[in-house]
Amino acid sequence: MLRFLGEQAAVKRQVLNANSVEQSFVGLKQLISSKNWRAAVDLCGRLLTAHGQGYGKSGLPTNHTTDSLQLWFVRLALLVKLNLFQNAEMEFEPFGNLDQPDLYYEYHPQVYPGRKGSMVPFSMRILHAELPQYLGNPQESLDRLHSMKIICAKILENLEQGLAEDGSMTTIAQENRQASAQLWRARLGRVMYSMANCLLLMKDYVLAVEAYHSVIKYYPQQEPQLLSGIGRIFLQIGDIKTAEKYFQDVEKVMHKLDGLQSQIMVLMNRAFLHLGQNNFAEAHRFFTEILRIDSSNAVANNNAAVCLLYLGKLKDSLRQLEGMVQQDPQHYLHESVLFNLTTMYELESSRSMQKKQALLEAVALKEGDSFNTQCLKLG
Amino acid sequence: MRLTKPTLFTNIPVTCEERDLPGNLFNQLMKDDPSTVNGAETLMLGEMLTLPQNFGNIFLGETFSSYISVHNDSNQIVKDILVKADLQTSSQRLNLSASSAAVTELKPDCCIDDVIHHEVKEIGTHILVCAVSYTTQMGEKMYFRKFFKFQVLKPLDVKTKFYNAEVSASYLTDEVFLEAQIQNITTSPMFMEKVSLEPSIMYNVAELNTVDTSGERASTFGSRTYLQPMDTRQYLYCLKPKQEFAEKAGVIKGVTVIGKLDIVWKTNLGERGRLQTSQLQRMAPGYGDVRLSLETIPDTVSLEEPFNITCKITNCSSERTMDLVLEMCNTSSIHWCGVSGRQLGKLHPSSSLHLALTLLSSVQGLQSVSGLRLTDTFLKRTYEYDDIAQVCVVSSEVKKIKEEVL
Repeated sequence: MLRFLGEQAAVKRQVLNANSVEQSFVGLKQLISSKNWRAAVDLCGRLLTAHGQGYGKSGLPTNHTTDSLQLWFVRLALLVKLNLFQNAEMEFEPFGNLDQPDLYYEYHPQVYPGRKGSMVPFSMRILHAELPQYLGNPQESLDRLHSMKIICAKILENLEQGLAEDGSMTTIAQENRQASAQLWRARLGRVMYSMANCLLLMKDYVLAVEAYHSVIKYYPQQEPQLLSGIGRIFLQIGDIKTAEKYFQDVEKVMHKLDGLQSQIMVLMNRAFLHLGQNNFAEAHRFFTEILRIDSSNAVANNNAAVCLLYLGKLKDSLRQLEGMVQQDPQHYLHESVLFNLTTMYELESSRSMQKKQALLEAVALKEGDSFNTQCLKLG
Repeated sequence: MRLTKPTLFTNIPVTCEERDLPGNLFNQLMKDDPSTVNGAETLMLGEMLTLPQNFGNIFLGETFSSYISVHNDSNQIVKDILVKADLQTSSQRLNLSASSAAVTELKPDCCIDDVIHHEVKEIGTHILVCAVSYTTQMGEKMYFRKFFKFQVLKPLDVKTKFYNAEVSASYLTDEVFLEAQIQNITTSPMFMEKVSLEPSIMYNVAELNTVDTSGERASTFGSRTYLQPMDTRQYLYCLKPKQEFAEKAGVIKGVTVIGKLDIVWKTNLGERGRLQTSQLQRMAPGYGDVRLSLETIPDTVSLEEPFNITCKITNCSSERTMDLVLEMCNTSSIHWCGVSGRQLGKLHPSSSLHLALTLLSSVQGLQSVSGLRLTDTFLKRTYEYDDIAQVCVVSSEVKKIKEEVL
């Protein structure tokens, strides 16, 4: 920003950093929700140092607690959210496969007398399993997810057979058992979700579709969204007929959504189908229809603008996107919207730089430090 | 700007559970992100469309679409603007502009827009030439051109192979099988919407790419409806000469035109491509003057036990009567039973005779029936018939077991 807009503008920018918040979980949450994830990563580091871990401590005997592991999880999750996958991988390394002895309650009997099991948060395992796929190694991700799936299924089986989660004979109260079973079913579903996403990334569409179907079993309330998603996968491949079939199936399970949401979904799917049939005019009509019932729908707004461009209406398209961004910057300063906007600026005129810088200014005012400026293509 | 189809934005889901430190913070962030799917935020494939990032690849048979925008960057009004878009290929120059009429005036910061489409029919370098001429306020005539160069690549590799049906009642109604291997040599998955053989007027075609399972025609390719990059699919067609051509034996001799393949595919969001191969040609098998074809032969026989075959010998010459002598030569595995050098008698043009022969095999496995020789005593010409058919030879015990099972 300093490079493009000068110092004066840069000074105006006010964002939170690791110093300006309370040095605690509260401050951390504040940084995360204000989208200052870089600062949040820093703060995690500091808080971990306070726990006697972190910078320069790799390789030394560790003293994990549930809190320190939660901090690690947050830090690693934020690195992934910031697309800093390599950093995340490096920081995951000391944890090995997340099953080292010092990661278990039993290893610290003084701190956690009588507690059993792993201290590693489930979400951290998911993160750990998903990470390799972003670094070009989806097969490793699948392997890790498969072993998680087996464990989740085993625990569920144990619970169903009247045993405790770990297969021991400890008796559990009926309601605890039910709550636990519910939790592990949801977790198994989450693992399946990751698998499906990973397969999609690998472009193994047949298996991905199968995996999404099995996700429906665990999250039946998401059936309409998932079926629509499968429909979009087929659109992506170019198999319009199968996509249409899925979109029709969606309309049969619409009762799972509330009225407005289901209306939007039906219109959205129809618009996509028209896109697949090369009919941008009709697609535009359906996206606009959505805006009539939900004027703040970012997706419909953006997609309608994209259709306008394909119809040869560059100026109208720009007007729609600019209107969106000005009206509700909180919502619409999204990477994808801005990317479309800058692409059109480039098309419009060879003097697009000015307009791009204006966007940067708007972003600087509203966004936290996690904003990815690459989408502005400032070059 | 080239208008390939837009793509769908994918997001990277990061979730956590209630009990984790951030509580529902991560999940809330994903909910607030407009690119996630409402109610199913963990679903990677969103609904947000993004414009093409770069020119990408363009393939033969696809439609090249481009946005042409002429924008007045100056602070003057310009007049009589004429925008012309031509596509220069290695062999021709095509005009792609929708209208050739001049626009009377263009105000500052306004633009003239045009979206052009062209189905690409040539491989190699293409140059899009955009020429703009206009008049300034001072009455000066101005003109400039811009060039956009791109390469058109081959999307598919098609290999064809013909097979003649082995056994047929008469050589005049011969069936031909066409095997077409189609390989996706692009970098993206390809949905094959249609692959059909358009036969030439002489043939009827039957597509053999579906299987009848309980009344439904299921594709032999199963649920995999698309071809990944470098994947190959094999299509099979059966061609039968039409009755009127089948009767005229001469027509199907030599090189014949079989037909052409028509291929339609789709890629991202229904981007469509279509290719037709050139006419596929086939060399009809020449049978010479005397044709020997098999009428009956068992598929499996016992080792070292005689079996019978029936041959049919046809005089294909136009007017010559033949006097034939049959010789039977043993090979390393096939042994003929009976007298070699036997007279078959006179055979008139276009007539045929049936011949029952007995032989046995001394080697197990798939054996080729070879070693028949016919000599025309008038012309002293010998015709050799090798590899007439194949037969599976098994030990007699195996054959017994097999029969019991059946």
